[in-house]
Amino acid sequence: MASSSVKRRESKQLSLLARRVRKWLTLAVALGGVSAVCLVLLFVEIARLVDDVTFRHVPLSVGHWAIILSVCLVLTVLAQFLSDIAGTQAGLHIVGSVRKEAMTHLANVGPVVAARLPAGEVLTLLSDGVEALEPYFARYMPAAAKMVVQPLVILAVVAGLDGWSLVILLCTGPLIPVFMVLVGYRAQALMDKQWVRMTILGGGFLDALRGLKTLRLFGRTADSLEQIAKMADEHRKMTLAVMKIAFLTSASLEFFASLSIALIAVVFGCRLLAGTADFRTAFLVLMLAPEYFMPLRNFSASYHARQNAMAATTRLLDIFSLPVSLGRHNKNIVPENENITSEKNGQSEQTKEQAVEQQAVVLVEALPKPHYLKHTCEVEALTCDQICASYDGQISVLEYVVCRFERHKLTVLDGASGAGKSTLLSVLLGFLQPTSGCVCAWDNTGKLMDLDGVRMAWVPQRPLLVFGSVADNLRLGIEDASLEALKQAAHQADALSFIEALPQGFDTPIGERGSRLSGGQIRRLALARALLHEPDVLILDEPTAGLDPASTQRVCEAIKRCTYGDKQGRNKQGRIVIAATHQSELLARADTVFRIEDGRVTEVLTCKETVA
Amino acid sequence: MSGQETMIHQAPFPIETEQRQEKHGQRKVLSHFWRIASPIRWHLFLSLFLACVAALSNFGLLFLSGWFLAAAAVAGLAGQVVAQTFNFMLPSAGVRFFAIFRILARYLERIVTHDGALRLTSLLRSWTYARLAPRAPADLLDARGGDLLGRFVTETDQITSWYTDSALPVLRALLCGIIYIGVFACALPMAAFILACGLGGAAIAVWGLTRPVVHHLMAHAVKERAELQTDMAETLQSLGESLILGAMPARYNVLATRQQRLDKVQLQAATAERLAAGCVTLFMFITAIVVLVCATNALQAGRLLAPQLPMLVLGTLAAFDVMTVLPVARLASATAQIAAERLSEQCGDPDQKPIVKTSVPPQVPYDLQLKDISFGYPNAETLVLERASLSIQQGERVAIIGPSGVGKSSLINILFGFWPVQEGRVLFGGVDVREMDAETLSQFISVAAQDNHLFAGSMRDNLYVANPEATESDMMEALETAQLASFVASLPEGLDTLLGNEGVRLSGGQARRLAIAQALLHPAPWLILDEPTQGLDAATEQELMTALLRARPKTTIVCMTHSYAILKFMCRVVCMDGKQLHPFTGENEAGESKMTH
Repeated sequence: MASSSVKRRESKQLSLLARRVRKWLTLAVALGGVSAVCLVLLFVEIARLVDDVTFRHVPLSVGHWAIILSVCLVLTVLAQFLSDIAGTQAGLHIVGSVRKEAMTHLANVGPVVAARLPAGEVLTLLSDGVEALEPYFARYMPAAAKMVVQPLVILAVVAGLDGWSLVILLCTGPLIPVFMVLVGYRAQALMDKQWVRMTILGGGFLDALRGLKTLRLFGRTADSLEQIAKMADEHRKMTLAVMKIAFLTSASLEFFASLSIALIAVVFGCRLLAGTADFRTAFLVLMLAPEYFMPLRNFSASYHARQNAMAATTRLLDIFSLPVSLGRHNKNIVPENENITSEKNGQSEQTKEQAVEQQAVVLVEALPKPHYLKHTCEVEALTCDQICASYDGQISVLEYVVCRFERHKLTVLDGASGAGKSTLLSVLLGFLQPTSGCVCAWDNTGKLMDLDGVRMAWVPQRPLLVFGSVADNLRLGIEDASLEALKQAAHQADALSFIEALPQGFDTPIGERGSRLSGGQIRRLALARALLHEPDVLILDEPTAGLDPASTQRVCEAIKRCTYGDKQGRNKQGRIVIAATHQSELLARADTVFRIEDGRVTEVLTCKETVA
Repeated sequence: MSGQETMIHQAPFPIETEQRQEKHGQRKVLSHFWRIASPIRWHLFLSLFLACVAALSNFGLLFLSGWFLAAAAVAGLAGQVVAQTFNFMLPSAGVRFFAIFRILARYLERIVTHDGALRLTSLLRSWTYARLAPRAPADLLDARGGDLLGRFVTETDQITSWYTDSALPVLRALLCGIIYIGVFACALPMAAFILACGLGGAAIAVWGLTRPVVHHLMAHAVKERAELQTDMAETLQSLGESLILGAMPARYNVLATRQQRLDKVQLQAATAERLAAGCVTLFMFITAIVVLVCATNALQAGRLLAPQLPMLVLGTLAAFDVMTVLPVARLASATAQIAAERLSEQCGDPDQKPIVKTSVPPQVPYDLQLKDISFGYPNAETLVLERASLSIQQGERVAIIGPSGVGKSSLINILFGFWPVQEGRVLFGGVDVREMDAETLSQFISVAAQDNHLFAGSMRDNLYVANPEATESDMMEALETAQLASFVASLPEGLDTLLGNEGVRLSGGQARRLAIAQALLHPAPWLILDEPTQGLDAATEQELMTALLRARPKTTIVCMTHSYAILKFMCRVVCMDGKQLHPFTGENEAGESKMTH
């Protein structure tokens, strides 16, 4: 069945992850074993004491038993405590490393491909989803190991004591996992069947909260309140239907545990009455019997930790199976503070990437350093040679695009919304791998040069401003940029005057997403940020959309200035500036205009040329 | 002054009040939430009862078995005659009875508890929603945006788990503990006293050891997690720019530091919790040994029968079963406490009745008058409007233009009273909008907002949101006007196409047009369109406006727009600039040449 192979894939991933924290897990299991042995010894000693005082009339006085007892007790508690802590360490370690890897993978995948998954979903996965792995490694894995160790120790002790009890324990013990798995599968199947419906019902509350303004504007608040109660009730009923079966797993455990304790008590009762068994054995076995089942109970309690981890892994694999399309940018920028287990990280990473490669992914050669540092000769032109591009591999957005972008020229991509302007920009930026054709860079001697040596900067349609001051935002990527450099970049982008008019100048906090700035100001700030990197290629996506005429004017002038350079600035040769727009103000200033229609590009006469 | 205004001014900001609340009235906040649970009170009692029955039958099973074995052994040793007179059937039946009872009680307890928890979640969510609805969207935004709404979901879940993971185990431990002590007292009062000391001591140890967790660590962990999440959100949102600008290494470092800090706090919390758990085991065995010593003395003094000694020892071990979950319960209680505090900060005191405004309906003609309005968002330094006035008569078509970010969309917020004005009056149909709630006003004004939310569900569901009585032909007509009909027709499932995660994702322009279709479906004499043609090409823009006027010739239409191309469809243009609203004259404006239509 398909679902079982999927399950196998998740189990494999989880065991690969477990390999990373092998040391912690081994420690947790070993200490758990020590604790189990000491616990059994403790019971043996207590049984002996009870038997002595009850039936052998040995007076109770402080002797070596007190020492044995206290040593065993301290060891039991201490070993269990350390075992738990080791498990926790393993769990935390996994959470940290998986989170880091997912983030790195998303960076390698790039924003265009990453957008295949909704942003909110990715964020939830990275926070709650990854955290669902923690209990699996912290509790489930040690519990699973202890479930094997502790019953075996107890069985060994009982084997040395009493045959009948051994038979009872042997018969009931192994039946439990069998029944649990049988019932567990049934519950899982039911859950799989209703998954989509349950997700929608479960997400209804959040969705309604998100849409509260819309609901109020349409006067539907009262209805939506009813709706929420209805959805919650339906969700409850569906969940309960699954739980009624899922809880049968623990009920089957209870059944066998209770049954064997009762059997042991009754059988021993008979034999004691007949005088064919001694009390010490009977009492010890009775005390050990609950402990025989205790790890099973803990295991079944942490069983949903496994199910949560499996569900989280399924969804995390969605992230990891996004193809790595980004060759140019940060393939090899791994986060610092690499941990001790990096060697093993590499191993399982490889396996993961192999899996990814199977899905027909082209892994592009890695870059040793961030691209903006590597810079030897000046780029003179960028060309697109027969580029075809598609987001999903089926509907092609660009078809055999041929065009040339030159330094010192403002090139405008014109076309209706959805024609493919942004797609072409994504290809130029390296966010989207063309399905065929290539982007080439040429230096001033007419030679082909490495595209990685080209300093690019990009101002997206909605530039994102991070939480912090104006200066923090400008310094994104160049943390040590001097105030002088900031001022110069701001000046070029026509942002200096408004920044200096802010209450604290460059140190003014700008609020979430620049809520204190107008649209035009945000654009100019983002332009300044891009210019701070002294790019050779400046790519702008709809730089004037949503701006009023005055702001449009200012932004256009700023763009013009960075295309041609100013006399005293460092930017003497100007830049390759590529802007996608469908607004006439910028078109009027263009040196070259490419029109994109139905994925095809044609060069059109510019306004300047028509005037001339 | 209306209730809403005072309520918003009082809306506390989380960080300031967090410390203050921590100092006093810890329990108070959480227990107040139990008023909400009163409809399912009996359900909750039932699950507590079942939990106790399950714990007691476990205790009974071991306690009775201990006595049974010892008694059988005593009888067996005493010889054939005594052994034959020994009543074997009754205790062994008792053992089996407790065994079966334990299975049943545990199963039922689980089902009933989870059912109760889910019901509780449902009640809490409805309550939260009812509280938040009248205050949306103003109070649902926080400084860094984003996680506030997700938090409501997590918080209601955490408060619910207070009941399952904290209240229930603690009450069970308390009730069963008393019964255990009572049972012991029947056999040997001294043993009962020791058991009471042992159970009490363990409880105090757990309480003491987890105290720092409850007080600081959990709050700290919540804070660290929220910050990590915000940083991750920011990194993801700026992925493209960060990559191009080479800012990723710095972002990774920030995230790694945050992760380390979170790990440290979580490890500390786990250590405290596990230490407390170790303490319970320690207390269990120490109590068992002290009971043994005490019972031995009693046995020698003849105050205790021989079979009762193993029974008491085993009973002590069994009694501590209810104590083992207490450390986890303390942690759950701390989490729920924090959640409850945060939720009550957002939703107000659970004891207070939500403030209901009495709504006065507007009178014909539905004219809008803004008289000397001054308006600014809380925490913003500058005002959006300062003593601005505007009057729009019913039947007019007015465009409101102005530089981007000047606050044109704020007019909707002012009109619907989502944020209060600092000065001046807003009259609609001769009634001050403060006398009306948004729901009343929505019967007269239909809005296509810029931040229109599309719900998970089909396109039809989303159109029903605007008007639940809309027919299929109404919908098609509205979609036709909004220039979206051909798109819908191209979808294989048409109006039943699912939107969002599980279905089709709309482009920006399509989503805007769907919002317009929704606004057209919602019957009202007024229609406000915020940037109706953003993201549309010039031809579609013209077609949309033409179709709109054809479909709704009598409707009062207000357009907030950047596009000069649609001004020709309007009777009048108002410019919003310099915190004022003034008639548009076309002077000194870049778009002047385009105004000649």
